[in-house]
Amino acid sequence: MPVTRINIGPVHPSTHGVIRLEVDLDGDTIVDVEPHIGFLHRGVEKLVETRMYMQCPPYMEKLDYVAPMAFNEAYVSAVEAAMGIEVKERAQYLRTMLLELQRIASHLFGIGTLCNDLGQMFTVFMWAFKDRDIVLDLLQEAAGSRMFYVNMRLGGLNQDIGPEFHGHAMKVMDYMERRIGEYEDYIEKNPIFMERMRGVGVLSAEQAKNLGVTGPVLRASGVNFDARKNNPYYIYSKLNFNPKVLTSGDNFARYKVKMLEMRESIRIVRSVLESLPGGDALGMPVKLRSPNPANRIATSSRELPRGEVFMYLVADPQKPYRLSIRSPNFINLAALRHMSKGARMADLFAIMGSLDLVMGGVDR
Amino acid sequence: MLANDLINNILNISFWMSSPSLLYNAIGAIIYLIMVFIIFSVFGYTVGWLERKLIARVQYRHGPTYVGMWGILQNMADLIKLLSKQEVSLAKGSRLLYAISLPLMLSFSIFIILLIPYSPALQATNLGLGLIAVFTIISFMPLLLFMTAVATGNKFAGISAQRSVLILLSYEIPTLMVIAAIGMLSNSYSLQSIVSAQSQFYYVVLMPIGFVILFITLLAEFERPPFDLKEADSELIAGWLTDYSSPYYALSLFLDYARMFLGSVILAILFFGGWSGPSIAPPLFWLIAKAFIIAIFIIMVRATTFRMRIDRVLRFGWLWLIPLSLINIVITYILFIA
Amino acid sequence: MKVEREELKGTISEMKRKGYDYLVKITAVDYADKLEAVYVLRNISESKDEIIEVDMPATDAWVPTIIDVHLSADWYEREMGEMFGIEIRGRRAGRLLLEKWDGVDPPLRKSFTWSAPYRNMDSPQ
Repeated sequence: MPVTRINIGPVHPSTHGVIRLEVDLDGDTIVDVEPHIGFLHRGVEKLVETRMYMQCPPYMEKLDYVAPMAFNEAYVSAVEAAMGIEVKERAQYLRTMLLELQRIASHLFGIGTLCNDLGQMFTVFMWAFKDRDIVLDLLQEAAGSRMFYVNMRLGGLNQDIGPEFHGHAMKVMDYMERRIGEYEDYIEKNPIFMERMRGVGVLSAEQAKNLGVTGPVLRASGVNFDARKNNPYYIYSKLNFNPKVLTSGDNFARYKVKMLEMRESIRIVRSVLESLPGGDALGMPVKLRSPNPANRIATSSRELPRGEVFMYLVADPQKPYRLSIRSPNFINLAALRHMSKGARMADLFAIMGSLDLVMGGVDR
Repeated sequence: MLANDLINNILNISFWMSSPSLLYNAIGAIIYLIMVFIIFSVFGYTVGWLERKLIARVQYRHGPTYVGMWGILQNMADLIKLLSKQEVSLAKGSRLLYAISLPLMLSFSIFIILLIPYSPALQATNLGLGLIAVFTIISFMPLLLFMTAVATGNKFAGISAQRSVLILLSYEIPTLMVIAAIGMLSNSYSLQSIVSAQSQFYYVVLMPIGFVILFITLLAEFERPPFDLKEADSELIAGWLTDYSSPYYALSLFLDYARMFLGSVILAILFFGGWSGPSIAPPLFWLIAKAFIIAIFIIMVRATTFRMRIDRVLRFGWLWLIPLSLINIVITYILFIA
Repeated sequence: MKVEREELKGTISEMKRKGYDYLVKITAVDYADKLEAVYVLRNISESKDEIIEVDMPATDAWVPTIIDVHLSADWYEREMGEMFGIEIRGRRAGRLLLEKWDGVDPPLRKSFTWSAPYRNMDSPQ
């Protein structure tokens, strides 16, 4: 049978951004997929070389517009490492909590869009967005903004949380825990969902390491690596928390890891709120400060909702000399080709949905 | 006397048709067309609006609210918007097929709509093989869909066309077997006598397996979720409708409503006793009410389910529906014939 | 850890045998007088990172490919090659991964200049 080449994107209902896929089909089976990226390339790595250190966070946030705060935090922590700044203790707790809230919001987005890609009529998508909105309310209260926060300052945050935050957060966490249970009931009891997710897009542990995938994709394949546990930062070493690892490596495992991680995040937020120390959480105002010349190269490795970000910063006085960003979306997308060979045409978007890509992070 | 007779029988189409006068026949045909048009457009429009409202409610949304009371005119506004859009013409493919295939498909649906009896009085003709005729025309639809898709030369439409033929091949057999079972029960393929045969028990009670099978195959035939893989928007953009714009796309929306109407009316006639019901309301009311409830059920299926994959659809058809429909025939034979 | 580019592939295979079986990132830095390719390797079970740096002159910029050691190097190498004008030897030349840059200099090199303001106003195009 001759191979049909079809072109998907850059504008397509379920590509989650601007990406073009060249798909070679033999009947209904995928022979090869070639992703074409670069439609959202903004040259951020070059741009930050012309900006002062604390002018860069807004650019960083646009790299992953679903979990902006987490990306920003990875950058700020690299700058802090270059300058040798210690983060205040209360700020460490608060950052941990905000990052976990961001993870919940981001995973809800991922699960909603995954269900959409599986051909659902926006139902789980809308539910997830409603709940994500509630988490965003919480983030707004803590950080002052809903979508792009820019709330990280060197050594701390731009503002402390208010006195009512504790009560609100506890209430939202109870609500989220109940809702996540409802999602699991609804989604996993659906036989169509299960048969489209189980055994599709399988990635073995060996393949996953070789392809360099990160985050939930790596852990769903049975590789136990979570930067929060393996290279602990902030107060993660003090928290009693376990990375969620599944072994089947298929679409369902990647979905399930996200569900389990949300529950774990709820636990982390609760325990952080309970053990929150007093004191000051404010960081430095946005101003110039020269980094330590002896420590020119700084790295920071952070576990984002979508995977690990690795920042490689060569510092100059005032400006970054070179900032290299390892984005989890980029390398997870590179694995798409290997995962979808031999799958069905309809599974291509199930696999892409389970990778949970954000194109802003792929192109940078 | 004559005037009185006329007024009493104004909605009785067979009265008009049985007259030898051509004028009377013509009047009867016009009355029938107007009645069916009113039934179809009111039903289709209400269900189309209700679909948006109900799905919105499932998803914590409001649905349309602005245009008209409770957004009832929203679909009109959408239709006007679609018709006022520029038509994007075709660079490749067949211009002629492109122009005629969707209207042809819609006219086939309308043909079935005109063929169905809506009450003992309101029917075009009492065909002896009415049920067979209806399903014969329905089984033409995937072929027309294939033609529609091929006319554009679009690859997404091509995949969609392949899927529609595959579904036709595997889902036509259980459909016909259920029809055969219905014929065995009622001793006739005339839709009128099928309804009158249900005066004691609805066929959904006598033949629940058959109802489930026909419900599923009609969902597949009419592209309702979870079998909407011919226009699977997450993979195929709009499937066979990808290259159709403006007036043609508006036609496809009509087609959607027509098929929804057809599916629910056929199920109501075959399994829920059609227009039979307490005499507090006219027979037509009962048929429409039953069809309405079935339509709401189809809408709720759409709101909650995921899309099936083509290989699973076929496997389901061959491994479950065909054996079940055979079992259905056997059970029907043993219980009610032998 | 600094290595010569001729020994790069051997070193990385050796590291993979020692347990550094996960490639985190390949990138490069333009230090005006030289180019430096950076390979970040990770030992997942012991959670240790190792950074390998390869120096090369800017005029003769090439590194050997490590795609047969780490499959994940594919896109990283292509990105680095396009952004820094570094030739990746030993792999099939493929399509450019990101958009093709129409300027002369590779965009992430320091010699790349930002376009002057008000340019192209006099040109007929």
